[in-house]
Amino acid sequence: MTETLNEDRIDTLAPTDHIALDSAPADKRACIEYLLDLLVDAGRVEDRDAALEALLAREEETTTGVGMGIGIPHAQTDAVAEPSVAFTRSETGVDFGSMDDEPARLIFMILVPESGADDHLSILSTLSRALMHEETREALYDADTPAEVQAVLKEAVA
Amino acid sequence: MSSERTVTIVPEAGLHARPAAKFVETVNEHDSDVRIGYGDDEPISAGSMIAVTSLGAESGEDVRLIADGPDEEAALDALERVLTTPEDELADAEG
Repeated sequence: MTETLNEDRIDTLAPTDHIALDSAPADKRACIEYLLDLLVDAGRVEDRDAALEALLAREEETTTGVGMGIGIPHAQTDAVAEPSVAFTRSETGVDFGSMDDEPARLIFMILVPESGADDHLSILSTLSRALMHEETREALYDADTPAEVQAVLKEAVA
Repeated sequence: MSSERTVTIVPEAGLHARPAAKFVETVNEHDSDVRIGYGDDEPISAGSMIAVTSLGAESGEDVRLIADGPDEEAALDALERVLTTPEDELADAEG
């Protein structure tokens, strides 16, 4: 791994306008579009259609519902110029078709340019490692503001 | 008693996406407890998608598999096959 996701990068990868704490749409595709639109509205996505196509192609391959109530839709696409992460939550949960049958209640999106294969894998693995800890998941459920979400992530990847 | 094996990952995208899903499914099809890790690092549950994703194992990297249970050798054989099958062949095998 050439680059790592560390606490200094959270502000750049996931500024507060990439984080929506209102309940996300309960449908998986609608939820993916909802997260994508956070990144579109933040000016990170140059081609929304291409980004959506890449994300859905990845889901087609196998679900990004990794269990433990976590979904991490992700793709490498030149629809973005820089690595970007978005986050939302769902109280009822979104059916991601994960192997443990648990609906996703914490949902992250990762978009990385085509050239950033190492970065892509590194962000995905670091985030997954952080989310395996119950205290991290609980803190994300409990966060009241996007800034609190950032603080939880910074501590979790430190 | 347990059995272990070190395997070099073949799929180009590493232990990610379809190969990762196939890997976790294969673990869960067996009765043995299987863990995965790097070298002497503390191994983690191989039957959990988030745990396997957290490894971020890339193509060409070595991972250590430790299986403990009634079908540990069969589990290791099946998992080694998943880790050493190029992704396009894995897709073909699934039809």
